[in-house]
This record gives sequence, structure tokens and C-alpha cells, in this order.
Amino acid sequence: MTTTVSFERVTKAYGEVRAVDGLTLDLYPGETVALLGPNGAGKSSTLDLLLGLRRPDSGTVSVFGTSPREAITAGRVGAMLQSGGLMDEVTVRELVGLACDLHPRPYRVDDVLAHAGITQLADRKVDKLSGGQQQRVRFALATAGANDLVVLDEPTTGMDVTARQAFWATMREQADQGRAVLFATHYLEEADAIADRVLVLHRGRLLADGTAAEIKAKAGARKISFDLEELRGGDPGLERRLRELPFLATATVSVSGSAAGSGHTVRLQSTDADATVHALYGLGVYPRNLEVAGLGLEQAFVAITAAEEAKAA
Amino acid sequence: MRTLVKLELTRSLRNKKFLFFSVLYPAMLFLLIAGSADATTEVGDSGLGLPAFMMVSMASFGALTAVLMGNSERIAKERQSGWVRQLRLTSLPGRGYVLAKTASAAVVSLPSIVVVFVVAAVVKDVRLDAWQWLALTGAIWAGSLCFAALGVAVGYLASGDAVRPVTMILYFGLSMLGGLWMPTATFPGWLQGIADWTPTHAYAALGRTIELGDAPHAGDVALLAAYFVVFAAGAAWLYRKDTLKA
Repeated sequence: MTTTVSFERVTKAYGEVRAVDGLTLDLYPGETVALLGPNGAGKSSTLDLLLGLRRPDSGTVSVFGTSPREAITAGRVGAMLQSGGLMDEVTVRELVGLACDLHPRPYRVDDVLAHAGITQLADRKVDKLSGGQQQRVRFALATAGANDLVVLDEPTTGMDVTARQAFWATMREQADQGRAVLFATHYLEEADAIADRVLVLHRGRLLADGTAAEIKAKAGARKISFDLEELRGGDPGLERRLRELPFLATATVSVSGSAAGSGHTVRLQSTDADATVHALYGLGVYPRNLEVAGLGLEQAFVAITAAEEAKAA
Repeated sequence: MRTLVKLELTRSLRNKKFLFFSVLYPAMLFLLIAGSADATTEVGDSGLGLPAFMMVSMASFGALTAVLMGNSERIAKERQSGWVRQLRLTSLPGRGYVLAKTASAAVVSLPSIVVVFVVAAVVKDVRLDAWQWLALTGAIWAGSLCFAALGVAVGYLASGDAVRPVTMILYFGLSMLGGLWMPTATFPGWLQGIADWTPTHAYAALGRTIELGDAPHAGDVALLAAYFVVFAAGAAWLYRKDTLKA
């Protein structure tokens, strides 16, 4: 299968700091990929290398089998930078018109404006827009033509929740048209909700590569919660036996409000939820409202990163 | 590319302050300096009346303002804001941006030249042959390219707060030293020696020889061309450096 983007042992350092450290990865057509990592993980540097805005110290970056610059010149890649400035003293329509004009395979200006949801802003001056509105203009610039890959660096920075949701709805439309999308984010729920594939970046290296579900599984734990009538009014013996269940990831079992008599919800984390739940029934109790859920990507991410840091220390 | 030039032009035309300084200010300065003089007041040993002398000075000054200020400040500002980075994510070739900036500055500099000529002819009765008017316009316009290159170099050299003072020092320094505001004949001898080697001096000399009915001196053309090569090479080098790190 041909790749859209291919990094081969790419390294980029700024002075002492290795922003990108021997990174090897391949992206494929049609994928929606999240590049996930905390600030300083090397996400922006990775995208800069991908877009040819910086050159690697060693290793090779190829985009559609050519250099990043060639891929951009051919109109195959559209990109939205985190810090991309905009021309001032011009209207949104003029600026988007420029992007369409510069693209080898442009869309109609009106269509681009509509897709980015900025038709009603078309005659406003770019420098008079809010941060979130400017992000949408940047998005319009990145999608002015028929790109095969759209690259977005933390695209929803500065947007409120509503704007963020609207933005991702637009983004999914792009992905549904068969475009590959690569976006950097530290909003973990975004990666979870949107990406087919998640790349976890930490200190310039690839820490994990898989579906959001796989990333979560890699972190192992699942959370289990249930209500126990038997705990109403308190039962220290039962609480102790709950703590002795097999495969518990957390040492403590939280039992909410057992003394008050009203609450009796038990929450625990297990590395093997099936075995834990089986043992729970073995206690002869009747758990109600049993829920077994994967950890959110955020917690999974914290777990992977922590494990990596423990290894490094 | 054409859209970019058009858009850069639109922006220049919308920028009232820039337009005032580059198009109207030189003509006003001309009236201020030459206003009370009559055509018979000769300037030093130049063989030109004051109005004719100052007309070339101010037309050159106006063109210089448009291209130098137009390029340096905007390029520095847009480098800082990240717009230059954004443009590099389009299929626009790298030098396209610099070309567009220079082209739009040159389009603004043309009216600044013409306005000074019109004011000089109408208000101060400066009379020249048709070929002289055309040659003057062409020479001053073409000569301004030298300073457009300087503007690009400054735009890539200085950043943020530094660009305005650097531009101003170059702008006023070159204008005064080159004799665009007052004839260098009034300078002390040692300063005249320096002034003779400034690009602005050669620039103004192009126009003055045309006014006297001669072809521009080869020495002035060569000096200006040499400066152009230096400025353009410097701009290209700084531009490439910036591209690699941006």
C-alpha cells in the first residue's frame, strides 16, 4: 500500500533539545490520524518537518513519495498551522480567494467558505475576527482545493465548545470524502472521538500507535462500577473482601457514602475485568447497575506516559 | 501569483497612512521647498533651476519611500505574524512573495512620481521636452528597484521592534546624504565625498542629467547597478536563511 506520509528515522534537535528523536512512521490514504501528546512532545516539530517548513538533521521525510515541498506545490497537501498568521487589511473572501487561486486544483471560493462555515463572515476584515473565527479562516485556507491530505496543528485552539463541535463536524465531512487527515491535539477526547488511528508522541518519540481502543487497551485497566445493597449501612467485612478481588489495578476500592446508608456505589479499576467480575459474583453478592468501561483516552495516555517516564528514570 | 499582487495592491491602496506618505507627501514637500523659489534661482553649479532640481529630488524621494517602507516593514511584520509560513504551505514559489511585494510597491511608487511631476509642471511651470518627461519617469521608476531590494533585505534582516528604526535611519540617512532634500553642494567637503558614493546620490543624478538634456552618466548607472546587485544578493541570502529556519 502506498503511503501518504513516511518518516524514516527522522531526528531534529534545537540545541540540546531533541524535538524529534528517531521518528519512523507511515500514514496511509483515507486515514484520520491523531498525533497526540502533551505540550513539548514534538507534535508541532513533526508537522513542520512533514510540511517542509524545517529540515530534519537526519533521516528522510517523504510525502506522496516526493519531498514535502513538491507535494505542497502539486496541491496534494493542505495545512493549517497553529501559529499561522493571516494577511491583514483584506476581507475573508479576498484571502480565501487567494488560497483558491494559488491551489493547482482549487474549489470555488463560495464552496470553500460554506464548508468552513464562514459564508456570513466573507466580507469582514480578517484582522477584525475573533480567535475562533480566524481558526475557521485558516481551515478554509487549508481546504481551498482538492488535497489528498489535510494537516491540522491543534486546530481547535481558541474555540469554545460549540465552535469546536461544529469544527469537527466539518472535519468529518472532509474525512468522509476520502481525504486523509492528520491532526495534532492535546485534547484527548478529540483524538478518541475523531481519529481512526492515534499516534502517541512523547519527547519526540513514538510511544504508541493504534486505534483509540488499542491505546486504551495498551494502558490495560478498565473501570468497573456497581451498586451493592449489601453495603447499605456499612459492612467492613464485605468491603475487605471487595478489596481482595483479583486483578485490581488500584489498591483502594472506593465505596461512596456507605456510612450514610443512602450511597453504596463501588468503583474499582481492574487489569482483567472479566476475572474480577467473575470473582465478584463468587462473593455471593448481587451487584446492580454493573458497568465495565474502558478508561478514557486521557487516563490511558497518562498511564502510558507515566510508564515511559518510570522506564527512563 | 497575479491574485497575490492584486491583493497586495488593494491593501496598499486601503492603507491611507502609507498612501499619504508615499503618494502625496513628496509632492507637498516639493511645494514647501520650491514654493517660493522661481525658475531662475539656480542650484549651485547644477545648471538647473530650483523647481526642476527639487522635482527630481522629490520624485526620487517619493519612489524611495514607497518601495523601501512598503517592503521592509510589511515583510518583517508578516514574518513575525506567521503569514509568510502560511504562504509557504501554498504552491506559491518562495520568491513569489518577494516579487509580489516588490511589484505592488512599484505600482504605488509610479503615481508618487507622476504626482510630483504634475504639481511641478502646473504650479511651478517646469517645462521639459516630451522625451525628457518619459525618460525621467522611466529612470526614476527603474532606479527605485534598487531600494525595493534594500527594503526586502531589511525586512528579512530586522524583526519586530527593530525594523522601524532601521528603516527610518536608512530612509532619512540615504535621503539626506544623497542630496534628495538639499543639494550636496551645501555639505562640507568630507561629507560631499561620502555623499557621492551613496545610491541615492546616483539615483537623483540620473534624473538631473535627463533634465539637462543628456543621457544619464555611465558612472551613476554603474554605481546604482552595483548597489542593486549588493542589495538583491543580500536580500536573496537573508531570504534563504529565513526560509530554512522559519
